This record gives sequence, structure tokens and C-alpha cells, in this order.
Amino acid sequence: MIRNIKIYFSFLGASLKRMIEYRVDCIIGMISQIAFQVIELIFIWIVFQNTDNIAGWTFEHLLLLYGVTMLSLAVTDVLFDSTYSIGYRLIRKGKFDTILLRPVHPLISILGESDTTTSLGYMVLSIILIISMLIKLQITITALLVFKILYLGILGGLIIGGIQTAFSIAGFWTYKSNEVVWSVFQLHKLAEYPIEIYNKFIKVLITLIFPFAFAAYYPTLEYLQLGKGNLIFIMSLIVIVEWIIVIKIWDWGLNKYRSTGN
Amino acid sequence: MALIEVKDLVKKYKISQKKHGVVGYIKHLIHPKYKEVTAVNNISFNIEEGELVGYIGENGAGKSTTIKMLTGLLTPTSGKIEVNGIVPNEKRIQNNKQIGAVFGQKTQLWWDLPVIESFKLIKKMYDLSDKEYEENLEKFTKILDLKDLLDKQVKNLSLGQKMRCEIAATFLHNPKVVYLDEPTIGLDILVKENIRKFIKDINKEQKTTIILTTHDLKDIEEVCDRIILIDKGNIIYDGEKENFKNEYGKHIIAEFIIENKSKNITLETSEEEFEVIEESENSIKIKFNHDKLTVMDVVKSVSNYCEILDMHIQEEGLEEILKEIYRGEIIND
Repeated sequence: MIRNIKIYFSFLGASLKRMIEYRVDCIIGMISQIAFQVIELIFIWIVFQNTDNIAGWTFEHLLLLYGVTMLSLAVTDVLFDSTYSIGYRLIRKGKFDTILLRPVHPLISILGESDTTTSLGYMVLSIILIISMLIKLQITITALLVFKILYLGILGGLIIGGIQTAFSIAGFWTYKSNEVVWSVFQLHKLAEYPIEIYNKFIKVLITLIFPFAFAAYYPTLEYLQLGKGNLIFIMSLIVIVEWIIVIKIWDWGLNKYRSTGN
Repeated sequence: MALIEVKDLVKKYKISQKKHGVVGYIKHLIHPKYKEVTAVNNISFNIEEGELVGYIGENGAGKSTTIKMLTGLLTPTSGKIEVNGIVPNEKRIQNNKQIGAVFGQKTQLWWDLPVIESFKLIKKMYDLSDKEYEENLEKFTKILDLKDLLDKQVKNLSLGQKMRCEIAATFLHNPKVVYLDEPTIGLDILVKENIRKFIKDINKEQKTTIILTTHDLKDIEEVCDRIILIDKGNIIYDGEKENFKNEYGKHIIAEFIIENKSKNITLETSEEEFEVIEESENSIKIKFNHDKLTVMDVVKSVSNYCEILDMHIQEEGLEEILKEIYRGEIIND
């Protein structure tokens, strides 16, 4: 396990070196992502031109929720971007065979290839948004709070990344696996609003089945000092359990793939 | 116990049978039909440590499927494989530590990093000591002439340069077994020779067991001691290369330089005796079965038609023998 993690970081280091080679791509990626975020924020602003709260949440609250979601998504993007196109990028081109021949779990190789440092800018933006909204809502910024924001942000990224990784096994059957991953990933949109507004089915869907709410809604409550229970503990547990299941699902997919051939 | 043991190995694929046209396509989506194809049909062989084996056969004969099962990339339908006591398909990662593999044009190197960075990652992956790594790197750099390539990005290398780096990467962790699937495809003659020499040297020095599949039979002629020939999923020959030639290579090709030709030889001789491959005003090329005729017999018959100035005799190469086998001209029991 420790060996695998060490190798994972070596792979990430290699990806970083590669990104430096493509500085221009990197900067363009960053700019377009930020532009995309600004558009989303404008959309929220327009909604609040017509109403002053959604289920008791004000504009500031909603921007805070949006910032928290964005931080989790940025972490997901940086660490798990390479799970998108396993089918097209790796299996169709036969590159997956060489990954399977390495003396480490193939997920280490795949995740180690993630290279969207473009999302680093996006990460900084989300932290600024979170902190400034908290100040506006008159919440004292303590060292503990900053730690919570960072730690829960990483856990949120791991939660969404886990869901993405589990669905990436679609690549073992279809070259268009990115579309499968993309459609599941879109569920995060539901987590950008307070879950009070949803019916029971959607609540269960985004807390228990695909726990997107733990990457957005619940940390937001925690920062607003409205949380119940020890969220750091609960989310750590969710991440561990989720990833045990994800790896099981992934290995199952891999075994299916190896017995049918491609 | 042999290093590699393969017993009663079978691999069957299911191939979906799509029908043409929109209606056929929709039918297939709702009720797919599959046809079962046997790629590898009950094969067995043992390979000892340090052997250099050429695994040959036509496209679709089952070569790649076998190699994929040996490396653990594919799960066999039935049968047993053990490589150094490990079942590759069950303990894939453990098996990966003791093997190396080159698959044609798929690269195991990091495409947009300098070659040396890939080597460093390999060192980490296989837990190589600094000493092992430095020793091998120095040795391989020398034999494969990598000195100027190490700092270049893989994407900027030519095919031959890339393959030299690829081969070095494969052997860097001192693997016990190396599978080379078409390692010389598309390379020029000098690079081919370089790679063949490297394979032979390492095999001698480290006792690395090497299994080589190739379409270039010169690779086999120069490198391998043993041949396993697979056809339609079955092994049709397994033994020493020299025996293979003696057993199947019954033909000799004789080329004569002639003059004063009186008649056209092709028209005058029956096919059973010998076969005229080429004939012109002053040369003739004849292929004959060495079991039935001696060289003198042929010389006598030819001299009935013309004056012989010079002649050149050549035994059939691996390539011609294999062509005959594939064409079904040599019947197997």
C-alpha cells in the first residue's frame, strides 16, 4: 500500500514535469475554466434578482455553497481527470496493456497520469470565494476553520473522484466511457443547491447512493456552524468505505475485461 | 521443473455477429448473437530457464493470444500456466515483477518525458537498487548506443531510436522472462541487428528466458535456438530450429548460369522431378526435393538442354519452409 502510494506520487511528479512542458496549454486551460465559473456565478446572481432566498438560503449562503462545491470539484479534477477517457485514450490505443504489465495496481498508473494543473487556479478561486463569503456572513476565521476547509475540500474531492473512478470501468466495454462518467458526474449540479429543496428520492440519491452532498452541502453547514455530529470523522469514514467499494468494483471490471479480451 | 509450464491451454472468444443495415443493427442491440471462436486450442509446452524461443505463426494463428495469457493480460478459458511457480493471471502484479514485455509499437515509456525520466520511474516501480540501475543503464547505453537519446523526449525519437530505448526499459529490472512481440517491426536493418545482438548478449549473460514472436524470420534464424510453430490455435512444431529445417526443409534451390540453350526446359520436364522457378536465355533457377534427387541428377538433366557455366546451390530458408507449411504443401501428421 505504502509502496503503491509512493509510486503514485512519482507518477504525479512526472505528470507535473509534463505540464511544465505544455505551459501555454496550461494557461489557456486556466483562463477558460475561470471564465466558465464566472458565467455560473452570473447565473446564480440572476436567480437572486428575482428572489431573496432559496429555502432560507441567501445569496451569500449560496455563493458559499457554490465555493465549497467548486473546491471539491477542483480537487477531483486535479486528481481524477484521467479516469474520464480510459476507454478511448487507453484501451482503444492498446496503452492499457502496458499499464497492466507494470508491477503496481493499474489505478495507480491511471490516476498518476492526471495532469489538470489548470484546475489549481480554480482551487485558489474557490478558497477565496469561501473565505470572503464566510467573512461577509460574519463568521470568525480561525486556524481550525481554515484547516477544515482544506481537509474537507480534499475529502470532498476524493468522494466525487471515487464515484468517477467507479464509473470509469465503463471503458472496459465501450470506448465512449467518458460519456458515462460525464453523465454521472453531472449529478454534482444537484449538490450546488441546498438539499432542502429536493424530494426524498433525490436526497437519498445524493447523500447515500452517490454522496455528492458530502462534497458540498454538509461541509457548508459545518462552516456556517450549523452542522450536527463530527463531520471530519463522518467524511473520513465515508471516503474509506467508498474507496474500498470503488476498488472492488474496479477490480471486478478489470477481471471481466481480462476474460473477454478486446 | 521448467521455468514456464503451459498445459492444455485453451482460449475461446465470443465474437458478436452483427448484421448489416439499421434493422440488423437494432436486432443486434435487442438480441445479440455470439459466435464462439477458439483462438488457442489445447496447447502444452515447457520452457527451461535461459531458453531463446521463437514463437511463430501466421496472423491470427493464436500467437498474441498465447503471449497475452502468459503475461496475465488475458484469463485462459481453461488449462494451466505457471511462470516460475506463479500463475500469471491470478498473481498478476507479482508476476509482473519478474517479467518484461515489448508489444510491437505500443510504448511503455512516458511519451512526453525525456527517456531518462521513464527509466527513473521504472527504477522506482521495480524497487531497483542504485547499483543495479546504474550498472544496467551503463551497459545498455553502451550496447544499444543510447547516449544521445536519454535526454530527448520519447515523442521526438525515430521508430528505431524508440525501440532501442524500449528494449532497454524492458530489461532494466533484470527480468527472469521477457516476451518480445514483434520487436523489430518496421525497423531498418542496422537497428534490427543491434537489437538481435543485444537480445543474444543478455540471454547469455543473465540467462534471461526470452520468447520472441516475429514476422521477420531473420530474427528467428539469428537469435532463437528453439521454434514453436502455431497454426489455427494448435502447435504444429516444437523443437530445435536446426531439426525444424532438416525435417521440413527438404528442398534445394539451384541456380545455373547457362548458354547455348537448345530447348525450353520448362516445357520439357515433368513437374514431379523438379520445379523450374525462373528461366531465361542464360540462367535457370530450379527447386527440387533433396530426398528424391541429388544435385548431380539435376545437373545431368539440365546439361541435356544447354551448357552449364556456373551454378549456385542454396538450402531453403525458414521463410520458404514456413510459406510451404502455411500453403499446406507440407502435410503434418
